[in-house]
Amino acid sequence: MILPQFDVLVPETVNEACAMLAEHAEHGVRVLAGGTDLLVNLRRPIITQHVPRCDGCRTHPEGAVSSTIDCTMWESEPLMASGGSLRTLLRDQEKTSPEFLVSLHKLKELKNIRRSDDGGLRIGALTTLAEIQRSPEIRQDYTALAEGTDNLGSPLVRNRGTLGGNIVNARPAADAAVPTIGLGAMLTLHGKSGTRSVPAEGFPTAPGKTIIEPDELLTEIVYPLSPTYSGSAYYKLANRKALEISTVGVAVWVILEKPGGPVADVRVALGAVGPTPILAKSVPAVLIGKVPDKAAIAEAAEAAAGDCRPIDDHRGSAWYRVQMVEVLTGRLLKIAVERAGTTT
Amino acid sequence: MSDYKLLNTRAPRVDAVDKATGRAVYTDDLKRSGMLYAALLHSPLAHARILNIDTSRAQKLPGVKAVVTHHEAGIEPYGVSPARYDETIFCHDRVRYVGDEIAAVAAVDLDTALQAVSLIKVDFEELPLVLDGLTAMDEGQPQLHEMYEKNICAEVNWHFGDIEQGRKEADLIRTDRLTSKMQDAAFLEPQSVLAEVDSHGNLTMWSSTQAPHYVQRTLAMALKIPLHKVRVIKPAVGGGFGPKASCSTGELATCLLAMKTGKPVKLTFDREQVFLHSRARHQFFHTMTTGIKKDGTLSFLEHQCILDGGAYASFGIATVYYAGSLLGGPYRLKNMKYDGRRVVTNKPACGAQRGHGAVIARALFEVQLDRLAEELGMDPIELRLRNVMEAGETTCNELFVSSFGMREALEAVRDSATWRQKRSQAGRIRRNGKGIGAACGFFVSGAGYPIYRSQTYHCTVITKVDDVGGGVTVMSGAADIGQGSDTVLAMITAEELGLSLDDVKITSGDTALSVDLGAYSSRTTLMTGHACREAAQDVKRQILAAVGGRLGVPPETLDLRDGLVVSLAGDIDFSALREEYLKEHKGFRDLPSGPQLTFREASRIAFLELGSIVGTGKYKPPKLGGSFKGATVGTSPAFGCSAQIAEVNIDLETGEVTVDRITGAHDCGFAINMTQVEGQMQGSMMMGMGEALMEQVQYDQKGRIVNANLAEYKIPTSLDMPHLEAIVVESNEPHGPYGAKEVGEGAIMPVIPSILNAIYDATGVRIEELPITPERIIAALHAAKNALLDSK
Ligand SMILES: Cc1cc2nc3c(=O)[nH]c(=O)nc-3n(C[C@H](O)[C@H](O)[C@H](O)COP(=O)(O)OP(=O)(O)OC[C@H]3O[C@@H](n4cnc5c(N)ncnc54)[C@H](O)[C@@H]3O)c2cc1C
Repeated sequence: MILPQFDVLVPETVNEACAMLAEHAEHGVRVLAGGTDLLVNLRRPIITQHVPRCDGCRTHPEGAVSSTIDCTMWESEPLMASGGSLRTLLRDQEKTSPEFLVSLHKLKELKNIRRSDDGGLRIGALTTLAEIQRSPEIRQDYTALAEGTDNLGSPLVRNRGTLGGNIVNARPAADAAVPTIGLGAMLTLHGKSGTRSVPAEGFPTAPGKTIIEPDELLTEIVYPLSPTYSGSAYYKLANRKALEISTVGVAVWVILEKPGGPVADVRVALGAVGPTPILAKSVPAVLIGKVPDKAAIAEAAEAAAGDCRPIDDHRGSAWYRVQMVEVLTGRLLKIAVERAGTTT
Repeated sequence: MSDYKLLNTRAPRVDAVDKATGRAVYTDDLKRSGMLYAALLHSPLAHARILNIDTSRAQKLPGVKAVVTHHEAGIEPYGVSPARYDETIFCHDRVRYVGDEIAAVAAVDLDTALQAVSLIKVDFEELPLVLDGLTAMDEGQPQLHEMYEKNICAEVNWHFGDIEQGRKEADLIRTDRLTSKMQDAAFLEPQSVLAEVDSHGNLTMWSSTQAPHYVQRTLAMALKIPLHKVRVIKPAVGGGFGPKASCSTGELATCLLAMKTGKPVKLTFDREQVFLHSRARHQFFHTMTTGIKKDGTLSFLEHQCILDGGAYASFGIATVYYAGSLLGGPYRLKNMKYDGRRVVTNKPACGAQRGHGAVIARALFEVQLDRLAEELGMDPIELRLRNVMEAGETTCNELFVSSFGMREALEAVRDSATWRQKRSQAGRIRRNGKGIGAACGFFVSGAGYPIYRSQTYHCTVITKVDDVGGGVTVMSGAADIGQGSDTVLAMITAEELGLSLDDVKITSGDTALSVDLGAYSSRTTLMTGHACREAAQDVKRQILAAVGGRLGVPPETLDLRDGLVVSLAGDIDFSALREEYLKEHKGFRDLPSGPQLTFREASRIAFLELGSIVGTGKYKPPKLGGSFKGATVGTSPAFGCSAQIAEVNIDLETGEVTVDRITGAHDCGFAINMTQVEGQMQGSMMMGMGEALMEQVQYDQKGRIVNANLAEYKIPTSLDMPHLEAIVVESNEPHGPYGAKEVGEGAIMPVIPSILNAIYDATGVRIEELPITPERIIAALHAAKNALLDSK
């Protein structure tokens, strides 16, 4: 399929970008970062196109341009009603195509990795997944995020795709978004009337949908300080070793009071087992204050499995996914605890 | 070591540099002045009656040059097998799958063509769907075609030997099942067509096809023009694997539009259209009962198969026969019964794909052998060795194997993969996540008969010496689709004429050059190889006769080697010939000066004597096979065989499969080009691995493909590929040129079963449904655990 027609706007500053977004909100405007998600979606296939069945996606123009890559993650229904001409649907789709793309490529200030004042890490939204994968600092202190990028797409996709794009596209299986939630990051959203900071786990609301306002950009992803005895890990379960949408993705972050010692804090984030990446809410209650031994980890893993609500789709059944959440959470907790104990 | 200069070496492919640098020209690269762009209207519904087609708005769109439907195309049926012509160029009364073609548009650019297609209004009345191949034959199911009662498109009932006798003799009998999924061949280059009609009404079509000759016939028949007015040219092709062997609606519609508009018209499939057009591997439902004696001798095989073939017959008649016939080898099996039925369903039509019809049947049979070996407490390779056929034997379904390195191949993989150490105790399963499994395969080296009934030569080759002397041009209809047949033809010609590869020009894949049935059934090296050798020898004979005449020596005392004419009977005085050549080339540089007469001089002198020198070659297999119904399918002048060992590592908690290593050995008779033989083996291993572990075309309840793209249809990536070892076995096939026979398809046969058997060794569970996803492994492990608990 060929791309629909649109104009590309190139702002020089974040404020200018927000102004453009506000100005054209009526006519359909989209932010273009690496384009590895957006451009694929704009080139929808002719016949077997699907849109998610969730509310909003049907009516909301943004939702209607759902990913060919993983929109079927969530229960899907073809755009097309039975009977009638297929081609009228193409026209419907064209209506939902944006008239403008706001390309962020000149906003160099969004392309960096730096320490924040409290010792945490601030990653600009335009930082590529490859840059994250290569950063020794991230691999050391935010291992789950580095591992989230390791098997994401392919080298080509990682060279272009951005962290911001992975979070805003709001796919349930997004491999960098899941560890971002697991690591307790805050997202900085910049709009016409100012800046706000929101927790990553509350950001996506449905497949392809977030709380971002039409005039807002995601500018920065802020990860909290990684304490001395902390460790994290991510695992992407899929059917092949590259170019895959996860069947299940699990990120864990463990903070210990001392090596081998009781758990001070823990976060487990799950991908592809709900309409958005989710936080396994019951895990902390099970694990905090306990020595993370085999039994405690097994209990926490079971709790994580209880927290997810996957569906059956062509990548895997709900039955399998729930079990895998348990298996992987258990394994990753063990790895994260080991990493926490050896942090220098 | 052979005495050949080029054959049996690793000569670089003649198209290697062009392909690696992007210089190779594919159909979509072609442009003609005034060229129009075509787009197709596909059915959005899997089964519906067409009530009305309104093209008026599309016709009026500025830039649109033609809109065609069944009104323009007619409704005369065509197809692949003459007995099953069940397609029309465009649907007229009914659509039978999502993607069925209803209309086509030619316009000044692609945007306009697509927009015009969107303006065509079709009124449908939806019909109930048949999506499940297993129940398609049931009472009360809607019927897709009037000609296919109960949706059965083809049925085979074979009985060779005596099954009942086999049953009596067997000490152990077991029944197993295996189901697969429809496949996509996932070739790199989507189908592309460019068609043009000249002022004399000659239609030329460039197309990404595997079989220019068959496509030429279908075009002429369906478009109602004489055969000689149709020329099909195959530019560089990026893979075919079977689906490009039959004529597509895309090809027919584009030609029709070129005829209507008088302009060149191009159509290139989108990847989604590749999936919709399909013609790839069927879905198979196999059930096999095999009996064996205590000593490991096979006593019988009773085999049932249902093939889900999608909406039309395509190559499927051959498929249902192949699914049965190719189990005749590579083991001695006296008694075999086969009942196969191919049904039609409201899904894209299936056809031929690498290992045509035989891949899943082979997989189940090899699994059965493993299970029987386990029950007998016998090593599975030992059991196979006790049953392998030897050269000179004939199968129960009358397939004669004239060369057969099966034993050698099996022993080679056993030793190279150190099977004995890794699989320490016979029949003992490890169940610790690490596993090793073996399997064999058997395949034709060229179909014994063309797809239409005819006494035609299967190929002819014309080799013409440059009139100016120095080189030759080989003209052949053979289709190099990436498998390397051009290189094989160049190597054979260069070998016969003592030339370097650079002095042999190959022109091929053009119906104007010669007849060649095309790249399918692993036929080209054996068949076109024969014709090519004959043509080169014809040329050589003519040149040597002319030169011998001029020199006054018997031609038999002369030979062509290393670009020179050599005398086998001592020195000869050729100065007169050289003088004549030099006189013709005053002022030229780089003239022959050495102590021997060169090919350049000899071929020019021969031209001066004889005029243009043209050599011809041809090939047609002898009469093959038995006299029972369907005996022609599975016949071949020669048979390839192969053995493989797969080693896997399974995560017993997640079901993830890592294939660590595949060791394969294939008997190709004689490797014309070693590298190419290994390449075919490695490609087969990769394709088979994908089919075993991840590939499946998936449908929703309305018959729409949910993964019609290469992001969601999974094939192995480079990271998934294990270490591959390709061992070439050469058995010297008496019916093949220089002893050569197939490797293109046979090598895929053992891949799936060797992986299935390795997974069993690793896990202790058997998977009966492909692909073997992590989830299926976990489900099977759970079921096994529950069964164990129940039994306690
Ligand atoms: C072949 C292939 C394989 C892939 N594999 C994976 C995979 O394994 N795992 C995975 O998670 N993803 C995968 N993806 C999806 C995609 O590559 C990633 O999600 C990537 O991170 C998207 O980033 P981008 O910069 O390219 O986003 P874009 O495509 O530019 O944008 C994505 C969305 O986010 C919006 N957006 C982007 N940046 C901002 C911003 N700063 N502020 C506001 N809105 C913004 C855009 O408007 C758009 O809606 C794959 C994609 C392809 C094509």
